[in-house]
Amino acid sequence: MLKDFLKGLWRENPVFVQVLGMCPTLAVTTKAVFGASMGMATTFVVVSSSIVISLIRRFIPEQVRIPMFTVIIATFVTAADYFLKANFYQISKALGPYVPLIVVNCLILGRAEAFASKNGVFRSFLDALGMGLGFTCALVVLGAIREVLGAGTVFGYRVMWDGFSNWIVMILPAGAFLTLGLLVGVFNMVDKKISVEKK
Amino acid sequence: MIKKILNNNTLRMITALTVVGIFSGAVLVLVHNYTVPKIEANKTKETETAIKEIFPSAAKIAETVYPGVFKITGHGGTPGGYAFIAAGNGYQGEIKMIVGVDAEMTTMLGMQVLESQETPGLGAEIVGSAFRDQFKGLSLAQPITYIKNQKPEKPGQIEAITGATISSKAVVNTLNKRIEQIRKKVKDK
Amino acid sequence: MDYTKTIQELILILIAASITNNFVLTYFLGICPFIGVSNKVESSIGLGIATTFVMTLAATVTWLIYHYVLVPYNLVFLQYVTFIIVIASLVQFVEMFIRKVSPPLYKALGIFLPLITTNCAILGLTLFMVLRNYTFLESIVFGLGAGVGFTLALVVMAGIREELEFADVPEPLKGAGITLILAGMLALAFMGFGGIISG
Repeated sequence: MLKDFLKGLWRENPVFVQVLGMCPTLAVTTKAVFGASMGMATTFVVVSSSIVISLIRRFIPEQVRIPMFTVIIATFVTAADYFLKANFYQISKALGPYVPLIVVNCLILGRAEAFASKNGVFRSFLDALGMGLGFTCALVVLGAIREVLGAGTVFGYRVMWDGFSNWIVMILPAGAFLTLGLLVGVFNMVDKKISVEKK
Repeated sequence: MIKKILNNNTLRMITALTVVGIFSGAVLVLVHNYTVPKIEANKTKETETAIKEIFPSAAKIAETVYPGVFKITGHGGTPGGYAFIAAGNGYQGEIKMIVGVDAEMTTMLGMQVLESQETPGLGAEIVGSAFRDQFKGLSLAQPITYIKNQKPEKPGQIEAITGATISSKAVVNTLNKRIEQIRKKVKDK
Repeated sequence: MDYTKTIQELILILIAASITNNFVLTYFLGICPFIGVSNKVESSIGLGIATTFVMTLAATVTWLIYHYVLVPYNLVFLQYVTFIIVIASLVQFVEMFIRKVSPPLYKALGIFLPLITTNCAILGLTLFMVLRNYTFLESIVFGLGAGVGFTLALVVMAGIREELEFADVPEPLKGAGITLILAGMLALAFMGFGGIISG
């Protein structure tokens, strides 16, 4: 049971290991707070769609399962989008079209197809929650690194010394690719070290 | 009857899709009805906050006969002016601003960006105060112009953001176009 | 109507969508196939052409639906659900059509078609189209340009990765890591085109 939850955080981390859901990962992580909000919105969608899909998995005909998953996911995404617009207007504006793009985040469809459509509600819930949180953590880390180097702040608080000159490239698209590429490398290195030590 | 439906494959597919469709529609109608008033309120509030930023001593803000154009009455006789929405295409999408001018439309009093999708770190600096403050007290006797990489030298001129000339130009063009429009409207009245 | 100005604007949209605001390298759309498929130049071209085709069609169809169904009947909140269904059925339709009309073409493109539904670039395209208030003609050109840009990025990347097989990449960076870093460099290179539409 616990394994279902924990694997999303490290072993099968959606961003660093599976390299899924890249569009929002790269696009919105100019600031840590955007990464966190995108992560939470995605977690909400993956958890609720996994629960619903797991509940109705016996009634889903094989041939039309993908369209059905997509419609369910799109529904929750729309709900999340309107909720953000109503309650967190500024954040929703900053995330812009990347909130609706959660619909095609392969991570969510992947969980529906690989886990929720085959397992019970509680396990699907844990699996989705773990994946969502793993995704959120990755986004926050990426956002924090880019924010520190690109703007000298973390979550809006100034952390760099006064003379620090911002590396604008970090907030640009190029910086997103470079940072994530290196992070994936670091992740693999640490992961390997851990598995060697275990042996 | 129900068993028959469950056994027939095509029927089963259609039923499943219809049920999901209805479920989805119903959920969204609920969400829509619950959130839309809040979203509208957010938008109105944002516009008002932006106007108050430009006219700190505004006593009364009233939308005129033209939608998106507000008449500002000053506090205790201080001069008011007009605030209006100006929108145009930037580098990566629409830029929407609130612009404040004095009652004679000879001087600009300030500008606030409501919406923009410019490149973070470059074009997005049009939201920053370093760029926006240049519009405070800018003469409108002539169309606004911009200059690259040096301090403005003529009246009605601003310095473009380094590395974001297109965004800066888009702001200037949008402002010029809209100010001309508003001038005509106010004159006609 | 000022025709030269309209044509000028259309060309501008085409260039912006394909080069200066390349979908993959500045909006991070379509990263999943970008990382997954860009191993061989040949298959990249195939996927690129198929995607361009679907993108142009999707822009056309969703524009019509948005402006003649969703807006007049006040159904904009169904936008995401509708768009994703339109895209999925479009891909299905294109697949059937090509299979009937030209079996050789189907053989060449067929395997890529299912990949396209979950390509965020297509949904992203339709969302940006609405966000930017493009006219009907502009939307078609935008779809075409975005497709060309996607193909371009994919093919360039595949070319680099074919050469990479002879390079000595550090172990942890192999696979996704190095691809992301390369994408970062490509994004920097593409920024150099930024000046061409400033005039």
